[in-house]
This record gives sequence, C-alpha cells and structure tokens, in this order.
Amino acid sequence: LSQAATAGGGDSGGAEGGGGSGSREAVERLVRAHPVVVFMKGSPAQPLCGFSNAVVQILRLHGVEDYRAHDVLQDPDLRQGIKNYSNWPTIPQVYLNGEFVGGCDILLQMHQNGDLVEELKKLGIRSALLDAEKDQDKK
Amino acid sequence: RSFTSQTDGEARVTRVLREKFPRASAIRVVDISGGCGAMYEIHIESEDFREKRTVQQHQMVNQALSEEIKSMHGLRIFTSTPKQ
Repeated sequence: LSQAATAGGGDSGGAEGGGGSGSREAVERLVRAHPVVVFMKGSPAQPLCGFSNAVVQILRLHGVEDYRAHDVLQDPDLRQGIKNYSNWPTIPQVYLNGEFVGGCDILLQMHQNGDLVEELKKLGIRSALLDAEKDQDKK
Repeated sequence: RSFTSQTDGEARVTRVLREKFPRASAIRVVDISGGCGAMYEIHIESEDFREKRTVQQHQMVNQALSEEIKSMHGLRIFTSTPKQ
C-alpha cells in the first residue's frame, strides 16, 4: 500500500481508466488515510473560502487540529475527482473514518446539535468542548 | 424587499424544486450573492425527507438542482420535515 501524497500533482498513476490524482482509487486512498479528512479551498492556516473556513473553525472549536486537509485549488483533477467520488457538487467536503459526512452546512448542524461530539468520540477523539462544559459545571 | 419580488434565478430554482418535490409544504430560495445568481440559500420542507439522514436529504436537493448548480458558485441547503 503506497503512501498517499497530499499534494497530488503530477501523479501519472496507472495506465488504465484515466488514473491520476482525481481517480476513484486515488481519492479512496486519501479519504482512508486518516480519521478526519477535509477537502477544502486553501489550507487550515489560510482558508480561501468562507465555507471552507467555517469547517476549519468548527474543527478547531472541538480541539481537532490533527487532520488531513487537501487544497483542491492546487489540483484541478482532485477538485473534480472528489466531487465524482462523493457525488456531491461542492467544496468543502468532510470525511470521518473514510465516510462522506457532508459540507459546511451539515458540519455546522452536527456541531450545534451535539452529533459532532458523538461522531468524534466514535473515532476515539475527545472533543475539547466536553472539557469546556466540565469547567462550566464547576462554577 | 417585498415578498412578491424575486430575482429570475430565484424564480427558476423555486420552479425546479416545486416540480421535483411536489409534496413539499414549503420552499424558499434566496439569492445570497446580491442578486448575481452566484450563490443561493435553499429552504425546503417536505415529507420526502422524513427518516432520512441530513446528507441524504441534501443529496436529493443536489440531484434535483444538478443542472442549475452547474452555473452556481455555491449553495446552502436547509431541509426539514413538516411538524406532525
């Protein structure tokens, strides 16, 4: 199993079926490479879209700083490939444990209704908000 | 902005949603790109969404608007089911 390249550019891949960084196989490798994978515009340090920024901020609120982020603006093949893979027309796209969860609106809803804390727990990630709540209880 | 005035884009997207979701009890489409037709906010309430996960509900809207989405820069979707 070869290591997935986060940059994605210049990947000539296999001869059959197109290959390349936007192929189903390449995307599959990326979404399975880490429990939390985000396809966005720009980077977590510098998001280039309000919706991508919202995803980054929500993850940060929950204390999730260790995740794989892929900048689709750097790779047109990946940009189209990820949309084909999930059959979802927009960026950002959030994957938890290799499964497509949704975009910014869905992640926001999950954050607001407590589902995100639960989903992170299933991945063995303790949301920072749980500790914040504990602090409040003490007062 | 008066209730009856809509941009052409809002009217078109609303029409497509009415056709594809005949059971919808409420549909509201708002151009949030300042009237440029680049970005829309879609609110749709329908029995069709009952018992479905949010991502599946949004997928149904994506499929219904697959043609219109091609010319959009982005969209926001808010789905719900009628109160029983």
